[in-house]
Amino acid sequence: MTATAEAVRGRLEAHRYICSEQIATAVYLAYHLHKPVLIEGPPGVGKTELAKTTAAMFALPLIRLQCYEGLDEAKAIYEWKYGKQLLYTQVLKETLEEVLQGAKGFAESVTRLHEFGDIFFSEEFMEPRPLLKALRERDGCVLLIDEVDKADHEFESLLLEILSDYQVSIPEIGTVKAVTEPPMVFLTSNNSRELSDALKRRCLHLYIPFPDTALEQRIIQARVPEIPPELRRQLVQFIQELRGLDLKKAPAISETIDWARTLVLLHSEALHPDLVRETLNVILKFQEDIENVQAEVPILTNKAVKG
Amino acid sequence: MDRTLTNFIHALRNAEVRVSTAETLDAFSAVQLVGYRDRALLKRSLALALPKTADEKETFDACFDQFFAFREVSGSRQANGVPSDAGEDAQGDGEGEGGAGGGRQDSEQPSSPASDRQGNRKRKPRTTLQDGEEAEPDLGPGEMSASTSTLGTLLMQDSKVEISLAVSTAGEAVNVRDIQIFTQKGLYTRRIMDEMGLAELNREIADLRDSAAVPERRLGQELRRRREWLREQVRDYVERQFLLHADVTGRRLREELLRKVKLSNVEHRSFRLIQEIVYKMAKRLATLHARRKKVHKKGHLHVPRTLRSNMSYDGAIFDLRWRSVKIDRPRVFAICDVSGSVANYARFMLMFLYSLEEVMPKVRSFAFSSDLAEVTELFERNRIEDAIAKTLRDYAGGSTDYGQAFADFKRLCLDEVDNRTTIIILGDARNNYGDPKAEVLKEMYERCKRLIWLNPEARNSWQVGDAEMRRYSAYCHQAEECNSLMHLERVVGNLLKTVR
Repeated sequence: MTATAEAVRGRLEAHRYICSEQIATAVYLAYHLHKPVLIEGPPGVGKTELAKTTAAMFALPLIRLQCYEGLDEAKAIYEWKYGKQLLYTQVLKETLEEVLQGAKGFAESVTRLHEFGDIFFSEEFMEPRPLLKALRERDGCVLLIDEVDKADHEFESLLLEILSDYQVSIPEIGTVKAVTEPPMVFLTSNNSRELSDALKRRCLHLYIPFPDTALEQRIIQARVPEIPPELRRQLVQFIQELRGLDLKKAPAISETIDWARTLVLLHSEALHPDLVRETLNVILKFQEDIENVQAEVPILTNKAVKG
Repeated sequence: MDRTLTNFIHALRNAEVRVSTAETLDAFSAVQLVGYRDRALLKRSLALALPKTADEKETFDACFDQFFAFREVSGSRQANGVPSDAGEDAQGDGEGEGGAGGGRQDSEQPSSPASDRQGNRKRKPRTTLQDGEEAEPDLGPGEMSASTSTLGTLLMQDSKVEISLAVSTAGEAVNVRDIQIFTQKGLYTRRIMDEMGLAELNREIADLRDSAAVPERRLGQELRRRREWLREQVRDYVERQFLLHADVTGRRLREELLRKVKLSNVEHRSFRLIQEIVYKMAKRLATLHARRKKVHKKGHLHVPRTLRSNMSYDGAIFDLRWRSVKIDRPRVFAICDVSGSVANYARFMLMFLYSLEEVMPKVRSFAFSSDLAEVTELFERNRIEDAIAKTLRDYAGGSTDYGQAFADFKRLCLDEVDNRTTIIILGDARNNYGDPKAEVLKEMYERCKRLIWLNPEARNSWQVGDAEMRRYSAYCHQAEECNSLMHLERVVGNLLKTVR
């Protein structure tokens, strides 16, 4: 099933993820070389979706870590269960006396306590967070580190160990390695800032651009199968033209799909300037863009209808 | 084959794609997995492992196509002879290929008649000759030459793969990768030909021409044709090597020069390159300073919040809360003289400041030659280059009047200058003997945190003629000579250190 990049592509398409050969090659290489993939591209081109589909394709669980400013290891790797620790100390207060019975002096008591080891900092008291969870997954999993560019610089450095060696170091316990199969790691970035070279070096780098006309048509066909073919052609044509304009945010695939669904819901058979104008807010998300495009709508619609 | 990949990576590095050793290893394992057979797949795989930004991907595409071009031709020719033969006819060595029918007969029987027919159609006078060759393949002129010269044998073998391999080997032997400037192309072409045994071949051809036997003369002609074809190939090879290896070396030299040259002397055609250098410098400065930002971000311990959030732990303090520091970004006001002589400097300084958007505090820019106006909005709405062009178009006319400009600045936004503001003034302070209004500058000087004057003229001409620099420099925290990218980089670098 993963013998060639072409096979991977077929499998992805079977899961309704229509993609270019480049994307299929990325998944193929990631699977065989055990390398994380850093996916970049404009928002809404299916970066996150790729990870989800890959998980479905391999029938693996998907573990997702959504990045945001201020994300730290306590939220990403592990945390101690403070409440449980406190509760146990309360409960064990009495036992403590038995343990320390007969101990003379402070030094001896401490030595006795030491014999019990660091029970409170053992696995039982640890709350695993996504990264650690992914490493402990017995049959492997797909780990999605979403929008890594939103996290701080420090967090990137935190990721380096898991990306290159599939392990994390926890000071109190030691190094946790991937149990058997290392997870397939996908990182996505919207390019809101430049990621560090160290991070990029450890990943395969996949750039997903806006799809071309043919590919986008196939995507719409897969996602909104009930749309009439002629409308589909016009719609994709229109969107492609629209991307050529100077917009604050160009419509992405997700917007095209939404628009296709909208038009199907409205039982339309072909594009029409009025129809386009009324539904423009589905594909354009800024008032400024909508206003700018209004004037162009008849020309663009005409172009799309004529093909 | 690993050698090929290393060479390719070398070429990539030359084209300023940063490839680390780790990435090289990735590329190797990727190649091991996908092999060299499928060119498109190879390209896609390497495109994942080596280039890591959109820009680098573009460079990679171009580089890959150039580097693996030779191999592609030979590969496709082996796979199916007919179409590529036609392609070669177009290149003008149809006769060489057509005549090769004799040598190729056993392996590619069906393809040779087709190519011969093509050759015949094109070159009528030679028909008899070629037919003659076809008619007596048993005479085997190829076999005869095999014994005489090695290069001749190779050429008559008719295997492009072998030949291209030989060309690369010879290229390696004469260190074609050291090629630096384009005038060396002829030299390296000759050296490679020599290395491949041209002298021997020439001798053989001369001998054959004088020979009495018809088949030998025929072979001589054939060899001559193939020699020309080979020369063509070698020239192509050298050209590609030049593009891969030397082009950037030359470029680097040029960049090095441009960094030091006076900005007013920069020719128009170098603007693009300068722009790229500016971006590169800006990016370096940006990454350099991006890290520092974080240091200030962590604030002090927020005691009340810490206590409150740890109440559930019986008052034991596990979870520390920090007071986050609200960073009030300081501002930079850039005031640029855009009149004729100084316009170029203004252009590049603005470019620099706005390329640093990420790490730079908010920049407000003003342009003047006589009247001063704010152009910040232009830069917000347009791309940097366009904004600069528009600024120069709208404000560059008129004779310089610093006094008026300062007065305008005072009226416009002196109120907004506070003790966190840095003011940068770029200009030659040549006031056409008008009223310098130094007292306005003094006012600005007193209000702001730093006032930096960048003067493109050399320090010793600051006092000459209508220059008011002496009067003005009394009210500057720092007055610097600034007329090359290097100066500019230094100034902006220092600026980043102090303003943030």
